[in-house]
Amino acid sequence: MDDSPWDDDPNYSGVQETEWSKISNEFTNAGYREGITAGKESALQEGFDKGFAEIGAPLGHEVGGARGMAAALVGILSTRVNNPSNTSNEREVARSLLDQLNSVRFSDIAPRDLQAEEHAREHNIEIEEKRKMEELEDMMGGLGRSGGRAERPTREQVVGLAKQVEELAREVINK
Amino acid sequence: MDESFDLESLVHVEQTFYDSGYQDGYDHGRIHGLIEGRALGREKGYEMWEELGFYEGFASTWKSFLLQHGTGDDERSINNSNRLLELIAQFPRINPSSTDKSSDLDISQLLSRIRSRYKVLCSSLGVRPTLRASLSDQAADNEEMADSDGGRGKESGPRVWPVLSQLDPSVTNQDLSY
Repeated sequence: MDDSPWDDDPNYSGVQETEWSKISNEFTNAGYREGITAGKESALQEGFDKGFAEIGAPLGHEVGGARGMAAALVGILSTRVNNPSNTSNEREVARSLLDQLNSVRFSDIAPRDLQAEEHAREHNIEIEEKRKMEELEDMMGGLGRSGGRAERPTREQVVGLAKQVEELAREVINK
Repeated sequence: MDESFDLESLVHVEQTFYDSGYQDGYDHGRIHGLIEGRALGREKGYEMWEELGFYEGFASTWKSFLLQHGTGDDERSINNSNRLLELIAQFPRINPSSTDKSSDLDISQLLSRIRSRYKVLCSSLGVRPTLRASLSDQAADNEEMADSDGGRGKESGPRVWPVLSQLDPSVTNQDLSY
């Protein structure tokens, strides 16, 4: 081993270092690529189950419940009229509540995913730029309609709608 | 002895680099998997339970009304409401794959029983099933197809909503930046 050919080469240590870091990078990167795919696959189902149980299902249950109640009230007030003077007004109210609840989308009321936002920031993804693009798209989309940005219901408004539906149900049922 | 030790470590050095890269990648991939899975699970959970919640709110409101104001003719509607509410109560609020591997609950079958019970209730009440509920019948058909697809992977334990079948292959690596 003492007569290694590079022992005499004074420049070799520099070359060796470059070579060394090249090998290191190559294998580290290859490992990283395989690792990221495996890691992602290992966590997808867990994330899915969490999102389903902690956010999607309870929120959907809440909105759907109010919507079903409103639909029932429209049906009751349309087919079981026993007090005509009051009923047509109540029916209009129920119909309007139902229409508003029908238009609610998950994206209107979904809570923010803070971990996702935080991680996107770590990637230096230009959130600002993305947001500006979306605003621009909204404006362009709005031009075709009434000129302004489309009004979407908020979480608070949906909670308010659900309360109104419940109050109306109480009146109709206990009349 | 020293020399042989050095040689030994040189042989393993490639593996060592690979392993450390793999571990870093794996940790990073998990973050992406959790985020992406969560986004899908939120949507799917909302979609399913919004529909089920609708049937539940509809049936329980009609039932309360009929119990107070109904006539003898409404007995059938009250029974239909009760059946529908019982079926909905059986529906899981969490993905059963994560808690009960031996669960043999057939979700798509339960869902279609719920949907048809809702229609039966509507016809006994003399009201029309709503547009949105009938629209989602198409989604139900698609789901059933997806379910029978997923049935091939049964050995890995029954997954009621296998997340991977939800993923378009083109989407999977979309924002996987590293």
